[in-house]
Amino acid sequence: MNPESSSGGHCPSFMFNSLPPQQQFSSLIANHPISGIVKPDPGWPEFSVYGGQLGNGYLNQNTPGVADQTFTPANSATVSPKKRKADKVPSLQVVSEKDKKIKGCAEEGDSKITHQYSNCDNKSSNSKEASNASSKEKSKVSEVQKPDYIHVRARRGQATDSHSLAERVRREKISERMKYLQDLVPGCNKITGKAGMLDEIINYVQSLQKQVEFLSMKLATVNPELDFNIDSIFTKEMLQSPIQGLGCSSETAADFQLNSMEQLVSYCGLDMDINSTEMALRRSISSPIRIPETFMESSCFNQIQPTATWDADLQNLYKMEFEQGTLIPFQSHQFTGSNDGSNMKMEM
Amino acid sequence: MSSASQQPTSINPIHLKNQFALRFVRALNTIKNQKGSAHDTQMHCRSRRVKIAAYTAMASVVGSRRSWSRAVLWKIRNRSRNQDLLRNKIMTNHHRRRRHAKLCMKRRNRNSIREDVYLNPFRYSVQESKLRKMVPGGRNMDSWCLGDEIADYIKCLAAQVEVMQTLVDLYTVT
Repeated sequence: MNPESSSGGHCPSFMFNSLPPQQQFSSLIANHPISGIVKPDPGWPEFSVYGGQLGNGYLNQNTPGVADQTFTPANSATVSPKKRKADKVPSLQVVSEKDKKIKGCAEEGDSKITHQYSNCDNKSSNSKEASNASSKEKSKVSEVQKPDYIHVRARRGQATDSHSLAERVRREKISERMKYLQDLVPGCNKITGKAGMLDEIINYVQSLQKQVEFLSMKLATVNPELDFNIDSIFTKEMLQSPIQGLGCSSETAADFQLNSMEQLVSYCGLDMDINSTEMALRRSISSPIRIPETFMESSCFNQIQPTATWDADLQNLYKMEFEQGTLIPFQSHQFTGSNDGSNMKMEM
Repeated sequence: MSSASQQPTSINPIHLKNQFALRFVRALNTIKNQKGSAHDTQMHCRSRRVKIAAYTAMASVVGSRRSWSRAVLWKIRNRSRNQDLLRNKIMTNHHRRRRHAKLCMKRRNRNSIREDVYLNPFRYSVQESKLRKMVPGGRNMDSWCLGDEIADYIKCLAAQVEVMQTLVDLYTVT
């Protein structure tokens, strides 16, 4: 902004002594009112906006003892006196703009400089206005473009551009995904705004991960108490092999229910004390036989259906266990002979 | 048959849960059996193993379709490999070189992340980076896949938590 001021300003305070007497005098004269005025002025940091290094001098003036000395170095000894004058003037001018008490000489330079400043301000404001106007125009254009979706032709080379089309598709997909996520995360429907939603998602995932950790801890504590169940676990593992075979071929809803039923059966296996005789029976029966049972026996099927969600509450689960304990061996006796063909199918 | 079981449908949550429960219970059994041999293992170590088993089970159920499950499986495989290395405690030059290569890879990945963030049209960089950290393998995803993967991951995690909860209930009651 001001080339002269930029040359000086950062020079140290001891330069004051090396100044020629004239300069000292003038600088003192100039300084006295300024230092008195500037100190109480609350808006001093704004000077840094006006004249780059001049602000530094003013900054130092806040400490009262050094005030006079610190101001003078703004005009460095290395610069010629003329320049120094010119340097000082704008600073005075700046101050006078703040609180118009200064009697400082108003030379042409000042006015020029002030003009410059004002011009600068005007320019910046003009540019701002221009940018505002342009942005308004842009927003208008975008507003116009948004409603006319693909049907209407936009202005040449704008919305028909392949890039913008791709962008549109991408945005749509992202918003779809966000909606999907919103549905997944509980309590996310109330939140509007993507940032909040993302926060909510993050919290949810973290809570889930913590839950997994906690549950695994619990399972680890629980495990050693299961020693009495080891036998039943072996039987369960025997039972699991057919289930896997089922799982791979299962695509229909009925099969899922079957799966859930098998799960329950396997959990029956955990409670050896409840139905040990049934377990023995089941072990003797080959696994695929139980599959058609559930297909054929509609009553059993219906009973299983309510617990198809598997994660139903425990009571329900236990009830099912008891029911199956009574049902399954009975049915297996019924269907061992009749369902060989279907067994083969299932094994496929 | 087996190939079909490798890639089950994760669309149906019930099926997902069943498969996960099967694998997880089996893993628990193996852990328990191992515990019989090495008796007094520490608590947190055991819980960690259970947790890892849970994650592995989930990832193996989901299979290699999803990048997060792929990342989990890869990590676990590498982990076992690293453990073997530690067991041997023989750090040959070859291994060192390998490590160095890994580090280089990591650095490269970081750079790629930065580029991703830079290229990312959305400026949710903080939250997105958080999400990336949380979802396994999220570092190498672009913001495209991220949403998809997060959705799938959340689903699977929720199922996992449910199954584990029921298991805990079962075991604690009996």
